[in-house]
Amino acid sequence: MPYIEFKNVCKEYKMGEIIIKALDSANFSIEKGELVVIVGPSGAGKTTALNILGGMDQVTSGDVIVDNKNIAKLKNKELIKYRREDIGFVFQFYNLVQNLTAIENVELATQICKDSIDPSEVMDKVGLKDRKNNFPSQLSGGEQQRVAIARAIAKNPKLLLCDEPTGALDYKTGKQILKLLQDTARKENMTVLIITHNAAIAPMADKIIRFKNGTAESCEINNNPKPVEEIEW
Amino acid sequence: MKIKKALLKDSFKEIKASYKRFISIMLMALLGVGFFAGLRATSPDMVNSIDSYYKNQNVYDIEVVSTLGLTNEDIEALKQIENVGEVYGTYSQDGLVKDGEKETVTKILTLDDVNKPVLIEGTMPQNASECLVEEKFLTDNNKKIGDTIQIESKLEMAEGEDLDELVQEASGNESEEVSQEASANEKEEVSQEASANETEEVSQEANNGTSETEPEEIATETSDEQNYLKNQTLKIVGTVESPLYISRERGTSRLGSGQINSYIYVTKDNINQEVYTEIYIKLKNSDEYKTSTNSYEKYVEETKNNIEAIKEERENARYQELIDEANQKIAEAEEELNSERQKGESQIQEAEQKIQDGKNQIANAEKEIAQNEKEANSKFSSSQSQINSAKEALTKSEKEYNSNKATLETVFKEAENQKKTLQENIENVNTSLEQVNASYLELTEKLEMKDLPEEEKLALEKSKTELETKKSELETTKTTLEKNLTELENKVSEGKQELKQASSKIQSAKLEIEKQEKALQTAKSQTNAQIASAKQELETSKQEIKSGEEDLEASKLEFNQKIQEAEGKLIDAKEEVKKIENPVWYILDRKQNSGYSSFVQDTESIENLSLVFPVVFFAIAILVSLTSMTRMVEEQRQEIGTLKALGYNKFQISIKYIIYSSLACIIGGIIGMNIGFQLLPRIIWDMYEMMYNMPEFLVQFDIANATLGLALIYICIVGATLYSILRELRQTPANLLRPKSPKLGKRVLLERITFIWKRLNFSHKVTIRNIFRYKKRFLMTIIGIFGCTSLILAGFGLKDSISKILPYQYEKIFNYDMQVALKNTLTQEQIENVKNSLKSNDKVLDIVESYMLSGTANYNESQEDVQIIIPDNIEEMKKVINLIDLNTEEEINLPNDGVVITDKLSQLLGVKVGDTIKIKDSNDVEKEVKVSNIAENYIYHYVYMSKEYYQNLYQEEYSTNVIFVKDNNLSEEEEQEISKNLISMNEVSTVQLSKTIMKTLDDTMNSLNYVVIILIVSAGLLAFVVLYNLANVNISERIRELATIKVLGFYDREVYSYVTRETILLTVIGILLGLVGGYFLNFYIIGTCEIDMLRFVKIIDPISYLYAILITVAFTIIVNIFTYFALKKIDMIGSLKSVE
Repeated sequence: MPYIEFKNVCKEYKMGEIIIKALDSANFSIEKGELVVIVGPSGAGKTTALNILGGMDQVTSGDVIVDNKNIAKLKNKELIKYRREDIGFVFQFYNLVQNLTAIENVELATQICKDSIDPSEVMDKVGLKDRKNNFPSQLSGGEQQRVAIARAIAKNPKLLLCDEPTGALDYKTGKQILKLLQDTARKENMTVLIITHNAAIAPMADKIIRFKNGTAESCEINNNPKPVEEIEW
Repeated sequence: MKIKKALLKDSFKEIKASYKRFISIMLMALLGVGFFAGLRATSPDMVNSIDSYYKNQNVYDIEVVSTLGLTNEDIEALKQIENVGEVYGTYSQDGLVKDGEKETVTKILTLDDVNKPVLIEGTMPQNASECLVEEKFLTDNNKKIGDTIQIESKLEMAEGEDLDELVQEASGNESEEVSQEASANEKEEVSQEASANETEEVSQEANNGTSETEPEEIATETSDEQNYLKNQTLKIVGTVESPLYISRERGTSRLGSGQINSYIYVTKDNINQEVYTEIYIKLKNSDEYKTSTNSYEKYVEETKNNIEAIKEERENARYQELIDEANQKIAEAEEELNSERQKGESQIQEAEQKIQDGKNQIANAEKEIAQNEKEANSKFSSSQSQINSAKEALTKSEKEYNSNKATLETVFKEAENQKKTLQENIENVNTSLEQVNASYLELTEKLEMKDLPEEEKLALEKSKTELETKKSELETTKTTLEKNLTELENKVSEGKQELKQASSKIQSAKLEIEKQEKALQTAKSQTNAQIASAKQELETSKQEIKSGEEDLEASKLEFNQKIQEAEGKLIDAKEEVKKIENPVWYILDRKQNSGYSSFVQDTESIENLSLVFPVVFFAIAILVSLTSMTRMVEEQRQEIGTLKALGYNKFQISIKYIIYSSLACIIGGIIGMNIGFQLLPRIIWDMYEMMYNMPEFLVQFDIANATLGLALIYICIVGATLYSILRELRQTPANLLRPKSPKLGKRVLLERITFIWKRLNFSHKVTIRNIFRYKKRFLMTIIGIFGCTSLILAGFGLKDSISKILPYQYEKIFNYDMQVALKNTLTQEQIENVKNSLKSNDKVLDIVESYMLSGTANYNESQEDVQIIIPDNIEEMKKVINLIDLNTEEEINLPNDGVVITDKLSQLLGVKVGDTIKIKDSNDVEKEVKVSNIAENYIYHYVYMSKEYYQNLYQEEYSTNVIFVKDNNLSEEEEQEISKNLISMNEVSTVQLSKTIMKTLDDTMNSLNYVVIILIVSAGLLAFVVLYNLANVNISERIRELATIKVLGFYDREVYSYVTRETILLTVIGILLGLVGGYFLNFYIIGTCEIDMLRFVKIIDPISYLYAILITVAFTIIVNIFTYFALKKIDMIGSLKSVE
């Protein structure tokens, strides 16, 4: 029994009269502690899959099992609880609360969690020991993304979901962020999902899922994931 | 410049896309224009309504009232004046409608072509026995159309009538009485014999005379007080509304409780009075003017001045007329009196003559009696003298007789003596004889004796013979003697006989005399008795004449007295004529009609209000549209940048937003003005309708205000839009295309105060930092809440302020329960009379005398009507009037070198302590006085002056004309009882009960609740629009942040409190500020709406603060509920996907 399993997940959006199928019978599974990279072109349905997995969106049909729990069947409030306790999200545009300092952004997440990690500790971990009391506007993009990651992992989630975490970053910074994610997955034994349109970073993953036209086209296990430092693109 | 089609299309698409924003701007415009137009139109609508009402009912422009009535000559004179159109002479007077025990004081009006009442139900009266009443009268008295009522109303046409009465009394009455007296005397016919009956008749007549006059007097008294109405029993044929009484106020009366309850219309031919009580004037072309407008008032004022010019002349004419009339009446009365007096006097003279005649006759009779007496007496005396002479003769003969008798007596005595001697001799003889006889006998015996010696016998015989001789001798002697004796005896008896004869003669003479004397005596006594009775009779006659005389004298006295009285009354009447004051004309206009003037004042207050409230709405509209449009522009920053980069100019770019906001503004504005014009005036009118009776309220579409309102809101909203768009457009396209750098997070000042900051939990820190981050929204929220709270508080405060006026004035300042106005020129005794009547009531606590007069106070250009109060005793006054210094709250003592004026007066005149103002009393006497203090006061203006100061100033004696009465917590009914008793006193003019004043005013003030409701509703709408708009802006501006925390797993409630914690804090701040703002807004509104006559109390009840808070909180909660659902609906994915 895999830790995470997508079973025939369909997701349809109604845009007026047109029905768009974002996910069309997507099936894949992820084991606990795996670093998964989901790749595919724009509009392939990878973000939709991530949103569903993150409890931000609901399926039209199908089951999504996370740690023996079918989150496709959860009600709104249970979904919030699921997001609150089991999920850590990292966005392309960081989505930090501008009005809060770096550490406060982390606190924003930890104050609602039971098994949270000390924000200060997490800040140290993501390498922002000296930037704790800076406001997002005073931080660089990479630093902001680090704060975002810190906010996500401070909740001590079962799943860390990252939607194009390097999309707004330059190459070098992007690499550092990926490194941080990889390290986190390894060190904390955390299940991490990274969405990217950049297939080049796929070798860093334990599992690579390729999306196309709303389905997981392939799902290959990488027995020798490369450290991020070795990946070039 | 041609607007590109694509842009227009874009505008409409934009509206569709952001309909919420569009609606919120539209709503703002709707509210702003609606309130502005509606409120602004209310006052003109009210003025139009009353104007059309007054025009339809042909209501007067100018009213002329005179203290002594008005005549047709006055009407003619008025018609000559420029601009004077129709002139109507009408009648009005107070009357009592009696229904069993119940008395209703009514104003009796006459139907005329001027001030026509509006027939509500029934028909117009056809004759003098029908009348119209007001609806209220029917309900109050439980009557219906068709019922009859009984009206009591006395003619009371001023002094002229009093004079008439006096004159009538002086002439008619008295002369009648006198003539009666005289006629009573006339009947006295003194008889020749001064008969008792006749005089009795006189006194009886006299008695009858006086007793007869009494009922006569009573009769004349009742017939004197004539009725004002010919028909006192009237049938109600319909109900009306009078344009003269549009308010509930019906005025005061001298009758009953002193308060007029209702009015009643009768036909003109039912009025029993010649002179008009008032004249109503319609001005030429007055229909071209709208009532209460400046041009109308100017027109009226000009004509009033023209009337003013003939005022004195007409007053004098009327005065002269009255004087002439009175003088003529007096002259007639005088003449009549004189003729009556002459008649009476001549009759009295006649009576006196008759009495004199009687007296003379009595005197004659007396004389006659005396003569008779004398005659009788002389007769008596002559017979007496005869008797006397007879007596004399008798006496003489008696004397003679007596002397004869005496001689005879002596003779007799002699004879007696002789007789005696003779008898003695005879005796002796007899004895000798006897001896002889005895010796003889013895001799004989002895001779016979046988034994006898003869010698002896012869001796004896011898002796015997001797004896026998002797005896014979003796016998002879004896015979001679006896013969002598008989002779003598005969002689004596003869004499005696003679004497006896003489004596009997005398005796008979004596008897005769006695008889005569007795006869004379009887005659005399008879005569005397006759005379006496005659005399007595005469005496009675005399007595009767005397009593008749006395009666006459009494009658004369009475007559004289009555004549004197009549003369006195004539003098009084003349005095009264002298006292006839010059009649005074009062030239009034509609403003003096209490209903009309309070109506116009109300329209002015609304006008003032309509200036205040829309300002608040416009201010809010600006803020709301500014935030909304700024947000919109910000959201479309990239689009603007793209357009700019594409080469569109500023105008073309901004046209979209201008169209957007213009459309919102115009649509909202047009809807708003239509709602506003219909709804607001009607709502406000609904509340005023409780106070005013007007058949129709006219709502109109006021183009001017509509345009103005729309223009103002357009400027506000589109201006705000332009401002935000132009601010963006200043930036370069490149800048615009880049996402707007998010607002920088900043540390707030509070963080530096670490000991507080540390104690705050995380979410509070966030809240505080957010508040300071979004300063515009922070301000908006606070201003919105502030506006809401302050409007509500001002509404409640206004109510508090106004509802406090009465208790403050009538409980705090004026402590008395009754104000008893006395008539003018009462004597001290009469004043005491009233006081005693009050004092006799043990429920009356204090009686304070005062002198009150009305006048004006002037300072520089300002002038105000005032009441001047001069207390008899300053200390006493403190029991009923509290003079409190406005600033120090301390009691003011009336000084002797200045006056104390009331607060509002000082404000209106612009006077402060130490200034000198001019006071003009009703006689136009102007005096300069120093203001020494300013006292708290709420209703009307007063000037207080000490008695000493007044007397020094005016050089006039103080005289009480008002008595303030404080009682022992009596109920209104008990007070009314006292009031009724007072009113019935001749000295009392009016009685005002503080309780009644309070009650009537209180009813009026209750309608202010509607103002409060309007304020609350508008404040609520305001609060709602603002808060809702802000919440929307808040959410849209922070959507990413909110989506983030939702993603982080915040429960809906947590998200809600994350956002609303700020709102709540801002609301609290807004409320607190609003309470302060409301406090001042209240004072501002009070200041704007305050009527010149009133000082609103600057007070807000604590409960009102609570209400303001609760209502604001309630509105906030409603908005927050909307927010809650809006937050729940936030789409996390959509929000987070886009680039900011």
